[in-house]
Amino acid sequence: MTLRPLADAGRRVFRSLLNLVLVVLLGGFAAAALVRYSPGFDVDENSWNPRISADTLAALHARHEQANQLLPFYLHYLRAAAQGDFGQSDSYRVPVSELLHDRAPVSAKLIGWGVAGGLSFGLALAWLSVWPRRAVLSIATASVSGLLLAIPSAVLALAFFFAEAPLSIAVALTILPRVFGTLRALLEELYSSSALLAARARGIPPWVLGIRYVLRPAAPQLMAVAGVAFVLAFGSIIPIEALCDVPGIGQLAWKAALSRDLPLLSGLALIITFVVAFVQMTGDLLAGERN
Amino acid sequence: MRFLAIAILAAVMLASLFAPRLAPYAYDAQFRETPNAPASRIFPMGTDDIGRDRFSRLLYGTRVSILLAPAAACVSIVLALLISVPAASRVPGVGLAVSGLTTICLSLPWLFLFIILRAKLPLNTDPSTSVLLTFGLMGVAGWAWPARVFAAAIREIRQSGWLLQAQAAGIPPWRIALLYGLPHLRSIAAAQFRVLVPAYILSEASLGLLGLGVSDPMPSWGNLLQDLQHPDIVRANPWILAPLALLVIVMICLELLQSPPEASL
Repeated sequence: MTLRPLADAGRRVFRSLLNLVLVVLLGGFAAAALVRYSPGFDVDENSWNPRISADTLAALHARHEQANQLLPFYLHYLRAAAQGDFGQSDSYRVPVSELLHDRAPVSAKLIGWGVAGGLSFGLALAWLSVWPRRAVLSIATASVSGLLLAIPSAVLALAFFFAEAPLSIAVALTILPRVFGTLRALLEELYSSSALLAARARGIPPWVLGIRYVLRPAAPQLMAVAGVAFVLAFGSIIPIEALCDVPGIGQLAWKAALSRDLPLLSGLALIITFVVAFVQMTGDLLAGERN
Repeated sequence: MRFLAIAILAAVMLASLFAPRLAPYAYDAQFRETPNAPASRIFPMGTDDIGRDRFSRLLYGTRVSILLAPAAACVSIVLALLISVPAASRVPGVGLAVSGLTTICLSLPWLFLFIILRAKLPLNTDPSTSVLLTFGLMGVAGWAWPARVFAAAIREIRQSGWLLQAQAAGIPPWRIALLYGLPHLRSIAAAQFRVLVPAYILSEASLGLLGLGVSDPMPSWGNLLQDLQHPDIVRANPWILAPLALLVIVMICLELLQSPPEASL
């Protein structure tokens, strides 16, 4: 009897890991195909060398063609990616891994603070909307969320940039309206629970109620929401970093798109797919465990 | 509130549809002797840095953004419907492969997926091609979420009692799909459409600001917002904020239409 939950949890972890592997394999295939069919990929500089004989040229061409068939190329790409080699950027002329190494911490900091801020602001707004049970507050919080949802993240970023305010708040404000609805629905459900009503009747202080009867039972759903917030933050850093000159992964992706640097974009796509899928999987697993 | 939202949206839509009649000038007409002119009777919102009338460009830009976003949403929904059928399939492997593809598309932030696809295509295109590319790619890149919703709905339909009854009555599958299946999916498609349209309007605005959207001289809300990158120009002519104000108003109206009638009071 006691082993059953453990076996269930193990099965859930195994299924999630399998899903992650599948996502990475398919994502890797898409990235490899993108690189393989990028403009100029088939061009071999040796073919312009007048000193190479026709036989050597034909042999080189045959080898090149064989190595560049999609499946062998994919396997080679995946093997190299597993060792941290994502190829070389066309526009920067440096390895993609080197670019990522320099820029990832900048984006990680922006995303980390942004997600934390977005969830905190979202929770605070949802709490204001639900707890005091005042129609004015409920309408006001929904209006704030609606207004933020109507403003493009790029415009928010510019406003914060010119006001010299921390850009992580712009990321947080991009996340806030997109998680507010879920958080409000969650808090509404918890606040109308009989356990909380009984505790309120016993005169337990509001902050104890908040922690014991709201935050603790809401932890699994909050973890799942954090996973969603992470994906949203990743999406929002592209305009924010590009327009505000922040040297992170978002700016790198934008510059790669403008210069059509497909090897760099593919490497970024593979890593971002893995990171996002991993974070979502972890969030879902933790949420499942707590449930 | 819903009525007001519908009225505002209708007014904006009509103004954009009749842009060629309402706009005093063509969107690309240049008045080189009056660049960055302030608002006046001749130029109601002033002119931009190369002497084009901002008001005319706003009317034409509204037409591009507000009419093509629903078109892109339709593309996404049709694609999602087509993909969701194999995704909900009982054939081993097919459903899993489509589901995996959907998960990848959902794992990659949408804007990132878009710029990858955009980078694959030529960046220096003529304005009308850039409009089609921007909104066409939005439609193509945005299939994943509606496809997941449709696949779940199709799976649910498969287990419904009425389907078993229809099958037992010997009704051909195509007739079941057309007469009974599609009406069930229509409300889901309508809900997805209401979610996708504002999302695409916002995305176009962000892409335009990044220089990856509709290209000049064709105006759109996205490229009209590019002037916001110069606060000194905004301070000199606050009418530059008009596209942003209109975008926010339209987005709020669309949000009001998304919520159920009793919630939007």
